[in-house]
Amino acid sequence: MKDTSDTAGAHFTGHGPEWKDAKLSPLQARAATAWVEAKIDRATLTGKDRVEDVRDLMWQLEKDGEIVVHRIRDEHQPVETKTLYGWTKRIPTEQLWHHKSCGQCGNIPGYPTSLLWLMNQLGTRYLDETDQTSCTAWNYHGSGIGNLESLACVFLRNFHQAYVSARSQGLPDGYYYPLVHCGTSFGNYKEVRAFLLRSAQLREKVKKVLAKLGRLVDGKLLIPEEVVHYSEWLHVMRNRIRAIQTVDVTELRAVIHPACHVYKMVPEDAIYDDEVLDGNRVAVSTSVVQALGAKVIDYSTWYDCCGFGFRHIISEREFTRSFAMDRKVTVAVEEAHADVMIGHDTGCITTLDKNQWIGKAAGKNAEIPIVADCQFAALACGAHPYKIAQLHWHASPVEKLLAQMGIDWERAKADFEAYLEAVRDGRGEHLYDPRRAVTSGPGAPKLVTA
Amino acid sequence: MHATSTRKQQYIGDPLSQQPALDRARLEEIFNDIQSDARYDHELNGCLNCGICTATCPAAHYYDFSPREIVQLLWTENLEGIYDAMQEKIWACAQCYTCAARCPFRNSPGSLIMIMREVAIKHGFQSAKDVLRPFSRVMLKLISTGNQLSPDMITADHFADWGPNISKVDAPLKLLRAAIPMPTLNTMKTAWEVNLKTSIELYTIWEMTGVLKQLETIDENLFDVISDIMDERREDYEDWCESQGDNETRRAAPPEETA
Repeated sequence: MKDTSDTAGAHFTGHGPEWKDAKLSPLQARAATAWVEAKIDRATLTGKDRVEDVRDLMWQLEKDGEIVVHRIRDEHQPVETKTLYGWTKRIPTEQLWHHKSCGQCGNIPGYPTSLLWLMNQLGTRYLDETDQTSCTAWNYHGSGIGNLESLACVFLRNFHQAYVSARSQGLPDGYYYPLVHCGTSFGNYKEVRAFLLRSAQLREKVKKVLAKLGRLVDGKLLIPEEVVHYSEWLHVMRNRIRAIQTVDVTELRAVIHPACHVYKMVPEDAIYDDEVLDGNRVAVSTSVVQALGAKVIDYSTWYDCCGFGFRHIISEREFTRSFAMDRKVTVAVEEAHADVMIGHDTGCITTLDKNQWIGKAAGKNAEIPIVADCQFAALACGAHPYKIAQLHWHASPVEKLLAQMGIDWERAKADFEAYLEAVRDGRGEHLYDPRRAVTSGPGAPKLVTA
Repeated sequence: MHATSTRKQQYIGDPLSQQPALDRARLEEIFNDIQSDARYDHELNGCLNCGICTATCPAAHYYDFSPREIVQLLWTENLEGIYDAMQEKIWACAQCYTCAARCPFRNSPGSLIMIMREVAIKHGFQSAKDVLRPFSRVMLKLISTGNQLSPDMITADHFADWGPNISKVDAPLKLLRAAIPMPTLNTMKTAWEVNLKTSIELYTIWEMTGVLKQLETIDENLFDVISDIMDERREDYEDWCESQGDNETRRAAPPEETA
C-alpha cells in the first residue's frame, strides 16, 4: 500500500467537499479536454494500439509447451469475421457442442430448441449432453460467491468435456467445438481465458484442480482457440438461413437489444461488420434480422442494459422492472414504433419479456413482443411457434408478432395442446436421438454410434 | 469548505453510535485483500474523473451509486471510503460492464466491484450477509447441482409480478417440460439434466478453490445443508461406480493426471 501520510488532505476522493481545483491553465485544460475527446465516442472502442490480442499469448504458450489449444479445424467449416478492431475471428459452423444456458433452459426453453431446430434444417452436426454445468457466472456476478479460480476451473472443465465428448460416439478428441448459448457465459469465459493466458500463477493453481478431475490434455491445460457465442454462428449462417426462409417479414419493424456481456465485456472480441449498420453497432442479431428482410430500427437507448442486474432480478426487482420499462420497452414502442424487440442473451429476454405486465401497476403500459434472434429466425423458416419456438413461455404479446407474420397462432396453439396428449402418452418428439445425451457416468448407454 | 481528509483518523464510525469503531489496521487488511487480487492492476489504470462510467451506468439512474466514485476511492486509496462503499454501494452495481467498455483508461469498475464484493464476503460483512439472504435458494441449487435455475420455481406463486402468463398454455408444468423437444430439458428440478458425475466434479472445484469457505462465512446454515447434500450425492456416485465394471468406471471418472 502506498504511504499517504504526507498527503493527508490533498487527495481527491471524488465525492463532494474534498474536491480541489486542479488549477490547470486554459491551455492545459484544453489539452486535457482534447485528450478525453479523442478517446471518447466511437474512438473509445477503437484504441486498438493499446489492447493486446490474448490469442498471441495463447499461441506462444502452446509453442512453449505450456498449454494445448482446442483448434478450430477445417472439419468445423469455419467462417471468418472481423471484430471491433478489425481482428479476424473464425466461427466454426459444423460439429458443435452445445454449452447450454441455465436461464434459457429454465425460463425460455424455446431459445435453445429454436437453435437446434435451425441446425437440423441446415444439416449441422451437434451434441447436446448432460455432462455440463452452468458457467456459474450469473451467481458470481449476483452474489460474489465464487472467484477467479473457480470460474476458470468451471470454464476449463466444461470445455475439456466438449473436447472429449465425441469419444462416446467413437470419434476423435476435438471433433466437437463448443458453442456457448448464454451471453454471460460467453463474456465470462472470454474474460477468464484472458486472465489464464496472462497469469502463470492462475494457471498453476487451476492446473492442480483440473489434474485432480482428470481434465488435462497430455498433462496440460486445454484452452479453446476462440470462445464462440451462438449469435456469432447465426451471424455467419444468415444467408444460409435466408435460403430456407418461408415466412415474409419485410413489413416488420424490429429493434435489437444487444447484450452487455456479449459486446461490452472483452469488447475487442465482439464482431462488427461494415455492412451491418455501417459497423457502428455490434453485428450479431442485427445481421440475421436484416438478412431475413425485417427493418432494424435504431433507437436512443440501444446501448443501455436491460436491467437484469444478476442480483437485482432475484432480490431487487424494483430496479429491474423500472429500468426495463423506462429505458428499453417504452422507448422501443414510443420512439422506434417497433413491432418486436429481438435479443441474444438469457437474462435480457427474461427481464424484458416478464416485466411488462407489472409495469402497468405504475402506469407504464407499453407492450412489445420479446424473442431471441434464433426464435425469430426459426419462425421465419417455418418452425412451429409452440412445439419448437415454445412461445407459450413468453409473457409479452408474442401473438401480435405471429399475427403480423401471417402465422395462425390460435390454430398452432390448438395443435400444440393436442400434441400434449401425445407427450402425456410418451410419444413426444425430440430434435435428436435422446440416447446421445448421456455420454458417461450414470445413465450412459454402451458406446453409441454417431 | 475545507477539505476534510479522514486519512489521519485512527477509527471510522459515528462517534455517537454504539457500534464499535474500526481501527486502521483492519481497514488496511481489507484494502490489501482488494489490492492483492490478481485482477486489480489490470482493471485499474488511472482515472481522469471524466465520469463517462457514471453517465452510462444503469444503477446510477436509480441508486446513490457512482462507478466513478468507486474508482476514485480505490485510486486514491481512501480506506474509509472504500469500507463505507462496501457496506451498500457495491451491491447496487448491475454488472453490465458498460463502464468498462466506455472508460478511456480501460478501467473496469464492474470488475473492481466484484473484487470488493468477494472481499466483503471474505470478511463476513453483515451487510453482505443481509444482501445475499434472498440468494440462498439460488446458491443451494447451483452449488449442489451445477445448475442455477429450477423450472419448478417458474410458477405464479413464486413470480406473482410476472403476471398471469407464466405459461400461456394451461397444462401441468411437468407435461410442458416433457414437451420441450430437447431431451436434456425434460426436467423439473434443474434447467437441464446434469449428470451426477458432473456435479461431483464440480464439488471438487468448489472445495479446492475456496468457494465452500466463502459460503460458510456468509451463511453457516446453508453451508451445512449443502455439505450434507454433497455427502449424500458423493455416496450415490460411489455406489454407482462400485456397481460398474472397470471400463465403465474409467469412462465416468478419468484417472487423476499429474499437473
